[in-house]
Amino acid sequence: MTTAVTIPRHGDTGGRTAVAARARQVVKAYGAGETRVVALDHVDVDIVRGQFTAIMGPSGSGKSTLMHCLAGLDTVTSGQIHLADTEITGLKDKKLTQLRRDRIGFIFQAFNLLPTLNALENITLPMDIAGRKPDAAWLRQVVETVGLAERLKHRPTQLSGGQQQRVAVARALAARPEIIFGDEPTGNLDSRAGAEVLSFLRRSVDELGQTIVMVTHDPVAASYADRVLYLADGSIVDEMRNPTAEQVLDRMKDFDARGRTS
Amino acid sequence: MTVWKTSMRNFLAHKGRMALSAVAVLLSVAFVCGTLVFTDTMNTTFDKLFAATSADVTVSPKAAEVTDVPENGKPESLPASVVAEVAGVDGVKKAEGAVSSMAVTLVDSRNKNLGSDTGAPTIAGNWTDNDLRSMEITSGHAPRGPTEAMIDADTAEKHHLTLGDEVRTIAVTGDIKAKISGIAAFTVTNPGAAVVYLDTATAQQKLLGAPDVFTHVSVTAEAGVGDTELKKSVAAALGDPAAYKLQTQKEAADANKDSMGSFLDVMKYAMLGFAGIAFLVGIFLIVNTFSMLVAQRTREIGLMRAIGSSRKQVNRSVLVEAVLLGVVGSVLGVAAGIGLAVGLMKLMGAIGMELSTKDLTIAWTTPVTGLALGIVVTVLAAYVPARRAGKVSPMAALRDAGTPADATSGWIRAGIGLVLTGGGAAGLWAATRVDEASEGSLYLGLGVVLSLIGFIVIGPLLAGAVVRVLGVVVLRLFGPVGRLAERNALRNPRRTGATGAALMIGLALVACLSVVGSSMVASATDELDKSVGTDFIVQSNTGQLIVPQAADAIGKVPGIEHVTNYKVLAAKLTNPDGSTADEHVTAADPTYPQDLRRETVAGDLEKAYGADSMSVGSDYAALHKIEVGDELTVAFKAGDTAKLKVAAITSDDTSVDQGAMYINVTTAERHVAADRMPGNMIMFAAAEDGKEKEAYAALKSSLAAYPQYKVQNQADFKEDLKDQIGQLLNIVYGLLALAIIVAVLGVVNTLALSVVERTREIGLMRAIGLSRRQLRRMIRLESVVIALFGALLGLGLGMGWGTSAQKLLALEGLGVLEIPWPTILTVFVASAFVGLFAALVPAFRAGRMNVLNAIATDG
Repeated sequence: MTTAVTIPRHGDTGGRTAVAARARQVVKAYGAGETRVVALDHVDVDIVRGQFTAIMGPSGSGKSTLMHCLAGLDTVTSGQIHLADTEITGLKDKKLTQLRRDRIGFIFQAFNLLPTLNALENITLPMDIAGRKPDAAWLRQVVETVGLAERLKHRPTQLSGGQQQRVAVARALAARPEIIFGDEPTGNLDSRAGAEVLSFLRRSVDELGQTIVMVTHDPVAASYADRVLYLADGSIVDEMRNPTAEQVLDRMKDFDARGRTS
Repeated sequence: MTVWKTSMRNFLAHKGRMALSAVAVLLSVAFVCGTLVFTDTMNTTFDKLFAATSADVTVSPKAAEVTDVPENGKPESLPASVVAEVAGVDGVKKAEGAVSSMAVTLVDSRNKNLGSDTGAPTIAGNWTDNDLRSMEITSGHAPRGPTEAMIDADTAEKHHLTLGDEVRTIAVTGDIKAKISGIAAFTVTNPGAAVVYLDTATAQQKLLGAPDVFTHVSVTAEAGVGDTELKKSVAAALGDPAAYKLQTQKEAADANKDSMGSFLDVMKYAMLGFAGIAFLVGIFLIVNTFSMLVAQRTREIGLMRAIGSSRKQVNRSVLVEAVLLGVVGSVLGVAAGIGLAVGLMKLMGAIGMELSTKDLTIAWTTPVTGLALGIVVTVLAAYVPARRAGKVSPMAALRDAGTPADATSGWIRAGIGLVLTGGGAAGLWAATRVDEASEGSLYLGLGVVLSLIGFIVIGPLLAGAVVRVLGVVVLRLFGPVGRLAERNALRNPRRTGATGAALMIGLALVACLSVVGSSMVASATDELDKSVGTDFIVQSNTGQLIVPQAADAIGKVPGIEHVTNYKVLAAKLTNPDGSTADEHVTAADPTYPQDLRRETVAGDLEKAYGADSMSVGSDYAALHKIEVGDELTVAFKAGDTAKLKVAAITSDDTSVDQGAMYINVTTAERHVAADRMPGNMIMFAAAEDGKEKEAYAALKSSLAAYPQYKVQNQADFKEDLKDQIGQLLNIVYGLLALAIIVAVLGVVNTLALSVVERTREIGLMRAIGLSRRQLRRMIRLESVVIALFGALLGLGLGMGWGTSAQKLLALEGLGVLEIPWPTILTVFVASAFVGLFAALVPAFRAGRMNVLNAIATDG
């Protein structure tokens, strides 16, 4: 079940490949024998640099597992995953941790921030852990972009859900990772706050050239992406470029209907 | 029923987390039960021993003491004629004259002391049929003449002695050299006394100083005659009730045991005291565990409340869990306690006090006490968390988990804590200001208790400040990981406070005792430097008096400028104001003031050594309004009554010889017959100028035949003093280690539960790039901070207590305050390592945590 994936060569900058992350024949299975469950079934996917990619699919389709594998949080049963030129499948925990710290940014649905640190400390945490000094000008720009300049000294408990997620976005951007993974980053937000966060993500792609991969089941969220990948039963079954919310919703309904009839 | 079920399930679900609390209960209960079993077993051992050694009825002189070594080294005796008199009484099957003395030392041919070095006595006597009740001759025969002796099998075995070997019994009248003719084994447990039997005539002559006298008569009843009945008829036959003391077997055994009793009681209560401290520390652990469990379960409890559980039911379900914990911990604790008692008995065996596991005594009260204590303490400790659980609102089920900070209770807490701490500080300060030690100790005790409780109450508030300071000093070295650790330690100050407080208690006691201990050494050294002029000090290792033959040997040593005799005589004093007092008078040679310089308040100390003169201490003089020139009536217990003129009043501001009343030895000799004159308690010697080294060696070799005495120069004496205090402190530290172990379990528990609570955060941090190593370091640092917090508070508090105690004890001569900084610093640094150690397992487990499980939000 391989989708034709274009490997565009345009927009290649600074000697870096245009593909930020690449999965080849990735299989992720749990259990063995009778109880074997295949979460990812020979998935091939290329994440294009400088694009906003959304991964959609019903519950249990394997969309979160795919993201976890791409981000080096989970191991694969077989297949290869590359982050730029680095093969991350088979890396030891120590190397993987370093890779996540230095080259990947994360935005989770909830529990994104450490309650003991204030907003600014949370934003610079990955760099602090790595022992790197944040680039002050860049940090200021990021903070301004997400509109948090006034609230940097606040603890997470003093921030609203939307503000917390914006801090998480700022943290992901601040270290200038090669790629940011979002796991339902707006799942816990009301539509207004969600829209805010999504437009930040969009802007960071447009204005800062950031690469973003986001798992979501919300068609509206997916409509912010350049490209939507549809997962079902562990395989990529379709993709859509420059989607609108209506198109995504229609496609989803389509899958749902097919799922029921088959 | 449902409450029971939920509690049971919760208990089992959290058995890992309960385990550490159970260990704390177990340790405390084990210590209590171990102490009880051990002391009961000792009691049984002595009961059996004394029951076996006492005759049906014992007749002894009225003045005979049970165990006190007689002043003149010769026990009170009664004439041999009494034996025949008693033998003629109706109902008497047999009456035997017996000799027994504990004022002896037994040495082998190489001058090695064969006696116990644990304080058990060496007993010399004649062999009588009564001894067959507790011993049997296993080889050879009882002594048949002055050159034969029989010793007990334990001593023979310990020192590899066999028949024909020579032993020497050193008595006050001279040495008795004899060959071992027999070895007799105890048929009951002998906890360590060395026993030597001589033939009756030798025993009488050498131990009692006269022929035809005995120390007591062992009376055996005819069949069918009761001990009490027999005692009555013997008493009637002997007439004069003032002359003799009659005891039935039971009375004699009880009297003997009473003399042991105080020693056993002191030991028992000291050990129970330490068990109490362990319990106190355990309470913190239990409170913390239940608080954390309740906090973690807030949502669950909210749900229970929402679906209709009453407050009471929730409350009760937590308490039932506590009961389960208490039962499990206590049952295991009782078992461990018995094991501990057996271990202690083996340990006592290793240092020479033989106890047999055959006598192992487990009174029914022991397990009952252990269980009751364990369960009650656990439930009491869980009470506050249980109440908090009951207060969880049903809304908690709907809210995000998280502990809301209650600011008001913080202020109330601060207020109460400050008042208590202030009260404690005032008590400690007052203790340094009083003139009477007894009054001061009350203030001191109050100060210690109040300041301890105050610190415990205020601990969570102090945690904030102290952890921040530690953060600046220590944690900043570790960069962002250090900062995270600091924030984590600060996150729940109540938890950090309680965990640290547990460690604080043990360390406060350590610090206090080490301050008092080193102040004791420093004060004594200072006092010795100021007051001791003598070159050499001779005294017994076991508190025995110096026999004349040893004193003579010292007198003949070349290069000695003078030797000072020093004897202590019991006397009844009648003061000029008409009051009387039982006191001890020190009879010394006039050279004594050179050996020990004393300050005088009035008069001239040298004149006190004049004929029929004396000196008194300033406290005594003040109490009885005695002035120089007054006359005191001194009735010597061992002699006649003298009227002595007070020629000097010595200052009692000293720790050496405080309150001593001095007379010249010659004055004592005029009023006490030579054969009643006590031996020297201690002797001093001064070397001729420039001959110190030779004199020291000569003195030592002159006493080679008397291994029970040690010769020390000033340096040795100080070192000895230091060692003795050091050893005592080490024992106390060892016992306090129990409390510290329980406190460490508390740190482990807190960390383990915190790691579980923070699963999500840990997952997040790992996802965004915190390495395992950094994560483990973060947890270790948090642990170190908690430990250092406890140490800082504990050491600070303890030094305060110690300083206050020293100021109070200054009244008793503890004039110099010395804070043992090396010890304090070592303990502080060591507690950092304790923190590292406590974090080992929690950190390891956090490192092993699966990142995905930690961050997964949906299934």
